[in-house]
Amino acid sequence: MIVVENVRFSYPSESFELRLDQLRVEAGETVALVGPSGCGKTTLMNLISGILVPAAGEIQVNGVKVGELSVAARQRFRLETIGLVPQNFELLDYLTIRENILVPFRISSSLRLSPETRDRCEFLAERSGISRHLDKFPGQLSQGERQRAALCRGLVTSPRLILADEPTGNLDPENQDRIVALLLEEAKHIGSSVVMITHDPVLLPRFGRVIDALQWRTAGGNA
Amino acid sequence: MNGKGIVFLGFRYLQRNRVKTLLLVAAFTLVWLLPSGIGLIVSRVEVQLRARAMETPLLLGQAGSPLELVFNGLYFTRPDLATLPSRELDTIAESGLASVIPLYARFSAGGHRIVGTSLDYFDFRKLTIREGRPLLWLGECVVGADVAEKNGVRPGDAIVSTPETLFDLAGVYPLKMTVVGVLESSGSPDDGAIFVDLKTAWIIEGLGHGHDEAESLGDDQRIKTVEKESSIRLNASVVEYNEINPDNADQFHFHGDLSDYPVTGAILIPADAKNQALLKGRYTAQGGLQLVSPAEEMDELFATVFSVQRFVLWLLFAIGLATILIGALVFLLSYRLRRDEFLHLRHIGADPVTLKALVAFEAAFVVLSSLVVSSLSLLVIQLAAPGVIRHFLN
Repeated sequence: MIVVENVRFSYPSESFELRLDQLRVEAGETVALVGPSGCGKTTLMNLISGILVPAAGEIQVNGVKVGELSVAARQRFRLETIGLVPQNFELLDYLTIRENILVPFRISSSLRLSPETRDRCEFLAERSGISRHLDKFPGQLSQGERQRAALCRGLVTSPRLILADEPTGNLDPENQDRIVALLLEEAKHIGSSVVMITHDPVLLPRFGRVIDALQWRTAGGNA
Repeated sequence: MNGKGIVFLGFRYLQRNRVKTLLLVAAFTLVWLLPSGIGLIVSRVEVQLRARAMETPLLLGQAGSPLELVFNGLYFTRPDLATLPSRELDTIAESGLASVIPLYARFSAGGHRIVGTSLDYFDFRKLTIREGRPLLWLGECVVGADVAEKNGVRPGDAIVSTPETLFDLAGVYPLKMTVVGVLESSGSPDDGAIFVDLKTAWIIEGLGHGHDEAESLGDDQRIKTVEKESSIRLNASVVEYNEINPDNADQFHFHGDLSDYPVTGAILIPADAKNQALLKGRYTAQGGLQLVSPAEEMDELFATVFSVQRFVLWLLFAIGLATILIGALVFLLSYRLRRDEFLHLRHIGADPVTLKALVAFEAAFVVLSSLVVSSLSLLVIQLAAPGVIRHFLN
């Protein structure tokens, strides 16, 4: 569950300011975030995941006040609780796709790389249609394939919260459908909440709730 | 922090950037290896050169470079060294001031120096026969362990001396020598030498030779003589023996006075310090000859070597420092180039310690690998040094 209250955030060198008075996402709820570019969708995701810390206000994820954690604790919390699917994939070019998907297990001291997690990696790759590319490097794959690899990495730890930033942006309609289906099915299976940024109106009916982020930029708003 | 994960990610990064990694390892290896390698080689050379020099009290030779005399007398190099008449050796022996071991290290066979000497040499150097027997007759040779191994010779086989000048008809002809003994390896230049009696060395030079009895030869092999001359003079068509065996050994002879025959030097073993001082005084004053103490010559040589080495080490230190700074710059630039990668890892959940450990891993791997490679190289140098030094000295 996510609780956001009276959050204010601005970048030092920009005039942009995010003002969000309240946002609640219940456990297991699926939310689509929409809105024009630059309205603060990605910033909100970064605040929820603890990559950014708000100047004011409070963000709770599963009862934990993210902003109050130390840097190391915040990183550990993100690794163990949140499955992040970034817009620009953020794959490491010196690792194969399989190694990229399993990378959370390489940097975490608590997550354990077991045969089951390897099986889960294979399963997710199979479901997202990249199983034949598992031993290739990111540079050998198309944008869409890399995006699917990033989604697999976000899901492989079976996180309680999935934050996906336009994970279908580089996909054809068939793969878009496939990926959203995988994301929502996995979330349902694990019992995770999902917050996904999208610009595609076709996908919106598949989410439990749609939030327009436009209001956050100029003035405080509720969601 | 996940130690195994850091090692995994670190290795995968280095593997994917293997050219850069190898270049860095090679550069750092040279930084460690060059000063320590040079120091090791110089110390090895010093130990080897000094050990033999310390065992040799005095060397007598023709005036000239003392170092050349030492190298010829100890390592059988510099074969073109000026010679002295063996008469000088007889004079010292008769004076009783020192025991004299003659050396005539001028000729070679298959790249190995032929050393004409006396049997005393083997006792002096504590050389023992591994196989066969010591020198007994003209035309026999005893070979060092390396000569036997490289040429596959053993007692009963033959070795032919190398002619000095191929197109000089009046020059030194090859002599086929019978191997009668193989020396036990001593780890010294003696392993690479072929030892013969001094007279055999003179035969190789052509100062002594063997041929059929002059009376039995026809007129075509004689030079027309004046009636009153009692001796028979033979012309160049007489075939000289190129091998000394029991059948023709009696036919070998030397013309002229043997005390005029040359040696390249002699080892002098004074009975005591007083005799040594007397000998030194005599040959300091006497022109034409020199008496040197190999140990003192080595001291002088290494004083020069060490001063050059100090300069070279300072130079290498400066180069090493520059290389380390460049290496640090490469790591710094690499860190900047990897900023996106670290950002991605941070987004996924890597803590700051993990990111620092990843950077440290690359540097540690390069430094440790270069230390391992340079240590192994030093080990190889240490093991190979004696043989290589001997090879260069020969």
